[in-house]
Parts: sequence; C-alpha cells; structure tokens
Amino acid sequence: MLTFAFRKVLTLIGTMIGIAALTFLITNVAPGDPARLVAGPNATEDMVATIRTEYGLDKSLPEQFFVYMGDLARADLGTSIVTTRPVLEEVMRYAPATLELVFVAMFLGIIVGVPLGMLSAVYKDGPLDQITRIFSISGVALPAFWFGIILQLTFSVDLEWLPVSGRLPLVTRPPDTVTGLLLVDSLISGRFSTFWVSLQHIILPAIVLSFPCLASILRVNRAEMIEVLQSDYIVAARAHGISSFRIVACYALKNAMLPTLAMIGLRFGWMLGSTVLVETVFDWPGIGLYAVSSALSSDFKPVVGVTLMIGFFFIVANTLVDLAYAWIDPRLRKA
Amino acid sequence: MIALLDIQNYRLDIGTFDGPVHVLKGINLTVNRGDTLGIVGESGSGKTVLVRSVLGIGPRNSRVVEGSISFDGQDITALPEKDWTKIRGIRISMIFQDPMTYLNPLFSIGRQISDVIAAHEKAAGQGVSSKAARRARTEELLDQVGLPNLSMLFSQYPHQLSGGMRQRILIAMALAGKPDLLIADEPTTALDVTVQAQVLDLINSLVEKLNLTVIMISHDIGAIATVAKRCAVMYKGEIVEQGLTRDILNRPQHEYTQRLLAAVPDIDVAPEKAAARAAETPSAKPGHLLEAIDLKKVYRSQSGSEVTAVKSISLAVKTGEIFGVVGESGSGKSTLARMLLRLIKPTSGDIIFDGQNISGLSGEPLRQMRRHMQFVFQNPHSALNGRHTIGDAIGEPLRIQTNMSRRDIEARTEALLDIVQLPKTFKYRYPHELSGGQKQRVCIARAIALNPRLLILDEPTSALDISVQAQVLDFLQELRAELNLTYVFISHNLAVIRQICDRTIVMKRGEIVEQGETEQIFLAPREDYTKALIESGRKTSQAANL
Repeated sequence: MLTFAFRKVLTLIGTMIGIAALTFLITNVAPGDPARLVAGPNATEDMVATIRTEYGLDKSLPEQFFVYMGDLARADLGTSIVTTRPVLEEVMRYAPATLELVFVAMFLGIIVGVPLGMLSAVYKDGPLDQITRIFSISGVALPAFWFGIILQLTFSVDLEWLPVSGRLPLVTRPPDTVTGLLLVDSLISGRFSTFWVSLQHIILPAIVLSFPCLASILRVNRAEMIEVLQSDYIVAARAHGISSFRIVACYALKNAMLPTLAMIGLRFGWMLGSTVLVETVFDWPGIGLYAVSSALSSDFKPVVGVTLMIGFFFIVANTLVDLAYAWIDPRLRKA
Repeated sequence: MIALLDIQNYRLDIGTFDGPVHVLKGINLTVNRGDTLGIVGESGSGKTVLVRSVLGIGPRNSRVVEGSISFDGQDITALPEKDWTKIRGIRISMIFQDPMTYLNPLFSIGRQISDVIAAHEKAAGQGVSSKAARRARTEELLDQVGLPNLSMLFSQYPHQLSGGMRQRILIAMALAGKPDLLIADEPTTALDVTVQAQVLDLINSLVEKLNLTVIMISHDIGAIATVAKRCAVMYKGEIVEQGLTRDILNRPQHEYTQRLLAAVPDIDVAPEKAAARAAETPSAKPGHLLEAIDLKKVYRSQSGSEVTAVKSISLAVKTGEIFGVVGESGSGKSTLARMLLRLIKPTSGDIIFDGQNISGLSGEPLRQMRRHMQFVFQNPHSALNGRHTIGDAIGEPLRIQTNMSRRDIEARTEALLDIVQLPKTFKYRYPHELSGGQKQRVCIARAIALNPRLLILDEPTSALDISVQAQVLDFLQELRAELNLTYVFISHNLAVIRQICDRTIVMKRGEIVEQGETEQIFLAPREDYTKALIESGRKTSQAANL
C-alpha cells in the first residue's frame, strides 16, 4: 500500500511537469505577439521591443521554456501587469474562496447524489426513480449562469431569505486566517455568528455548482447499484440470511462506490473550471473571478497561474481518488 | 413424520417482454430429513429456479400460478420478507456454482462469514455476540470444511485463494446457521477435476457428520451419483423421472434420461476410433503441421514481479491428428494455445507452422498467416457479438481476409451453415435466438470459413450440456475427416480427451508432465500427477456409469 501511494505521488509530480509544459506551449503557439498584446494597441514599435526584452520574449523558445520551468521550480509564477504583484501571492489569496465553494458543492453532491442514486436503484422504475431521472437530466441541462440568476431572484430578491452575492457582508470582519476557508476559520475562532453568515452566503453558489455534479454522481451510482444488486454475491448474501438493508447499505454500496469515486474525481476538476461562471454570477472572490478579470485586461501571467493551480488541485484530487480505490478494493493494492 | 420439504404441484411463470414463460410446470417433490436428493437436468430445465424458490430468492418477475412449497410443516410459498430472515441461511442454506462470483471481492473472508453469523444471531433475537466470539466461530467453521491456516485466512480476500478454497469457504458460510437443509447448486461445475472430487468428498462427510439433508443440482450426473441416494430428472420445467439414483442409472425410464445417460462419456471405455483409425491410417508417416520449440511465456506485473505461465514447452502436432492438451486451471493451457496461434507473443522459443517460423512475425505477414489457423472459444455465448446476425458472424473472416463479392460471401455463408448442419435461414437470426450447441456450431462455421488447416479448440464443450457435448464432439470428428483438418483440443475433461484425441500432453504449472498416445496415457500413466487426474476423473465417471 505504501509503495502504491509512493508511486502515485511520483506520477503526480510527473503529470504536473507535463501540465506546465503544455501550458507553456499553448500560450506560445497561440497566435498574436504577447509583447504587442501587453503593450496595448497604441504602443510604438520601440515600446513593444522594450517589453519583449523585459519579459525575455526575444530569446529562443527552448531558452524561454527553461527560464519558465526554472521559475516554476522556484514557485515563481511571474508578476501581474495590472496589479504589479506576484501572481502566486494573488492566486494564494483567491484560491481558498474557490476551494471552499468547491468543497461545499462536492459535499452536497455526494451526500445527496449517492443516497438518491442508491434509492433509485433499489426502487428502480418506481416514482422516486422517475423523479430523480427528471432531476438529474435538468441538472445536466440547465446552464449554470441562468440557474444561478433564477435562484438569486427567488431566494434573495423575492423571498429575501439569503444574500444575493459575495462571501461575507462588508460590515462583517472576517475571522483570523488559518486555512483561508471562512467556514472552518470562523469555527476555529469560535465565532458562530460569522459561520452562520458565511454559510448563508455560500449556499446558493454551492447549489448551482453542485447541481450538474450531483446529477452525474446520482446516475452513475444508480447504474452501478443496479448492476451490483444483480450480481451473484448479492444473491449469495441474501441466501445466507443477511438483511436487505445491510446488503444494500453496506455490501452493494461499497462495490458500487468504485465507479462513483472515479466520477467524483473527474467532477472535481470540472467544478474548479466551472467556478469561473458561478463566481461571476455570485460575485464570489475566487480564482475564477480573478482569472476572468485578468483575461479581460490581457494580463496573461495570472491566467497561466490560475490554469496551473486548477491543474494542480485536479491532479491532487484524482490521486486521492486512486488511493481511495486501493483502500476500498483489495485487488488493487498489489498492482 | 412430516416431510422436511414438500413441494406440491408447483407452477411458476416468469413475466417477459413477450408474455409469461412457464418455467416450472407442476413440480411434485418430497424431501425427508436425512435425504440426499439430486436434481439433474440441462441448462434451462428450471432446476435453479426451483431451488431458489425454496429459498425465496427466485427471479424478480416470477409469479406462482399454482401449488405450494412447505418446509417443516410451514407453508413458505408466499412468506413475507421479514419471516424469511428466520429461515434463510439458518434452516435452509445454499452453496453456489462459481465460488469466485458468489463471494464479494471487496470484503475479507473473516468479515463475510462473521457477518453471516451476526445476521443469524440477530434473526434469532439473541443479540449479536462479540467480535472475538464470532471470530472463534468463523475459524471453527473454516476448520470444519478442512481449510488450513485459519488465522491468516480470516483476513484474506477471495482473489487470494484458489477455486477449491473459495468453494470450501462458501460451504462454511452455508453451515454457519447449522441448517436442516443444504441446497447445493452445481457446486463442482466451475472446479478442476481433482478439486471436484475433494469437494464432493467434503459434502459427503458433512452429510454424515452433521446429519444434513441435501438437495444437490447438477448437469453432471456423475457428481449427483457420488452424493445423492435419490435423484430427480428435470426436463423443460417438469420432473420426468424420480427414484433411487441407482435405479435411474441402471434402468432409465424416460426417453430424455436415456439420452442423457448415453451421452455421458466414460473415462474407462477405450473409444472405437483408435481401432478404426489404425486400419485406415496410411503407412506413410505424416509430416508435422505445427511445432513448438522451447516455448516460454513470462508475464510481468506492474510491480516488477514475474509469473511464468509456460516454461519451455516443446511439442509437435502431426498433420491430420487430434492433439489433446489436458491440465487443470492455471496449468498454462490457454496461454500455450494463444501462443501457438500467435495471439500473444512468446517470451522466447520458436513456433513452426508448416515449415515457417511464425514466432517473430508481425503486421501483414502475420495477418496473412492467420487464415490458416483458427480458434474456437470455450463459451459460445460470449464469443458471438449479440448485435450481429449469424450471417454477419460467419461472413466476417471472409470480408476481412478475402476480396470476395457480397454475393459470393452470402453463398459461402450458406454453404458453411450447411456444413455445420444448421438451416440456411439461420443467417438472419441473432445469437440469443440460438441454443448453446447451435451457437458453438456457428463459432465452428466461422472458424472454418477460410478453409484453415489448423483449428485450436479451447474447451469447446465445457460450457455446453452433456447431451449437446456429445453431438458437438461427434460433429467435430466428422468435420475433421471431411475437411482434412488438424485439431489442437484443450480440455480439463479426461473422458472427452480419451474419446477423441490421438495424442495428448498433460500439463501442470506451465510444464508438460507426460505425453504420448492418448490410450497409452490412460492405460498406463507414468506420472503421479496423471494418475491422480485420471483417478479423480474416474470417481465421478464411474458413479455415473454403474
């Protein structure tokens, strides 16, 4: 198990280098002169040339690549042109908000999706199964920005139950930063009212973000459960007198969880990417919003930084899924 | 005395898309305490549905039309689910066919058995005992079924054990509730010959020791005869004959039973083919069609450990003969077959086919070579694509390997169906509309479509019923004479090997332990392993051929 974990971590590092190289390639192969873009439409040739030297863009591509990889190795993501501050520092400042949103959304997706998938499989083709089917199709079909706005109109504007946008009201002092996740930090510092307020803020964007993910977790879990419940070892468990509840909740669920876990890993990466839309609608101060505003002002270093960051979290999440696989399935531990 | 199990005029339908299918048509069966009853019948005869109904785990869409099942005086025909918990696994328990698929792969052996014990304690209303107590009971059960290394076994997982050990574990689980009635559903079908004999011995000893009542179903009448004193023959949802096993074997009354018994190959009967062939064989020595020299296959796992599936095997197959390969699972038979056909690349060694070394071929030359050698798989149900018609399946090699016109392919397909004795109209059918034996004929037709010279048959009859097996074997021999084919015939069934193979090799753990003329091997085996194989094969074979 330990060597298995060790190998997975090595793979993680390798993949990370691959992503870095790919990002470099895409930004350099993309049409347009980065120096000219940075200089702006009214710049003179001289200004463009100065910028080119300043950013090292006059060097050959391999040279640029080594400089870029070297910088990355020293955790230097470059400097933002707009704010003139190190990109890493800014990404680190915005990342917790996004991660908090993704974690809550994933949590919702799992605790609602898995049991509903399980029940739909047990009562296959019954009323509950039909309802969850409609529910999951709409989950995948509804565009996030539209769904978000509808929720805002209903729960914030009409009913006034929940705040429209943001992470915390301007008047609330954020808790001392420990993890950067407001829900966790407010609990650590014992400020339950702040916890409550930030929970109210996160609930709508988390629902919007988790909806498609919940739908796919539900469907995968349902399909797997149906398959597992027909398998021979379930028949045997029944014949040995194990109760139906225990068979479904303990035996079959563990078997059905394997593909569901893979789906969760994939959806985690998808969510990190989708936060761009959700954060824009809910004015959520995360890396998605940061990437959008940087891209709009042709500030490329932050965009690359955010891409790498999302890639990093995605790979970490999937490595965790791989480890969970081995933990659940004894047959994989030796491989 | 009331019967332990009493089934009266039991009729069961299963609802399908095309309306109800009558699966059981008025079954009458009585089992007394201490009885050992065998139910024999081919696949689809309804025997599994019948015994599963006794345990309340019949198919989902089934409906009892008429009749009743009562157990120990209690009517259990329409028992509500909560009342079953006091019966299932406790008073009636069951062991199954394939011990791999009937054990949950994600839970340890100890956990699975202790859970069963806990479920029984809960059902008895006495409260679940401590983990340690359940562990002790689990180890006691494992000991009872003759398993060694109990404490290690407790934390092992199903995939780490052999087939025979897994079947013993399933038996231990079934014994956990000290059942009155044990139902064994094809308990030996998925096991090797030597293991089969051991498991049957175990069941017999448990019957004696625990005073069990047993119902055992099997399509293998030899296995039934080894265990059961009484026997019922099922055919198309009906019990066509029942009585003492001895009587049924000696004087079968029903026409189906007679056919079934006639089809069982007898390991101790020298086939006529040897004598017949000796007369017709031309004096000129035929050349070798296929030779393997020092063939070896090593599989390397991701973690770097190596498994040698086949260690330096040399053999020579003469043109026109049937060359038998016999051995238990894991002996490397299938790896060898796949190497001979170059479906996989040998790690080292040479394969000479018709004078040409094909061990290093790849790409187009190898593809050209393929038309001369074909493969017939064990399970015809999975060897045919369910979404292609039979005509498509048979025509496929012609489309791939030749540039025949569509009309020619059509004509050749019809001719091939004719050769394998199936109606021409079958080309429009889909695999699910055919029986197992018909499907295997289609697979053979597909294999001979390109007029190959060599056919490798990997357990071609072991997924088929015995009566069908006999037909397919006869047919294969006819076909060989007609088309001048050479066969490499792989099987674990010694009686079948003796019936049709000219020369045979016996494999064990990737090596040839004995080789020679088939008759010679059976009459005077030299190696202990061969003797043991024949002896365990003889046990069930003899029981069936009283």
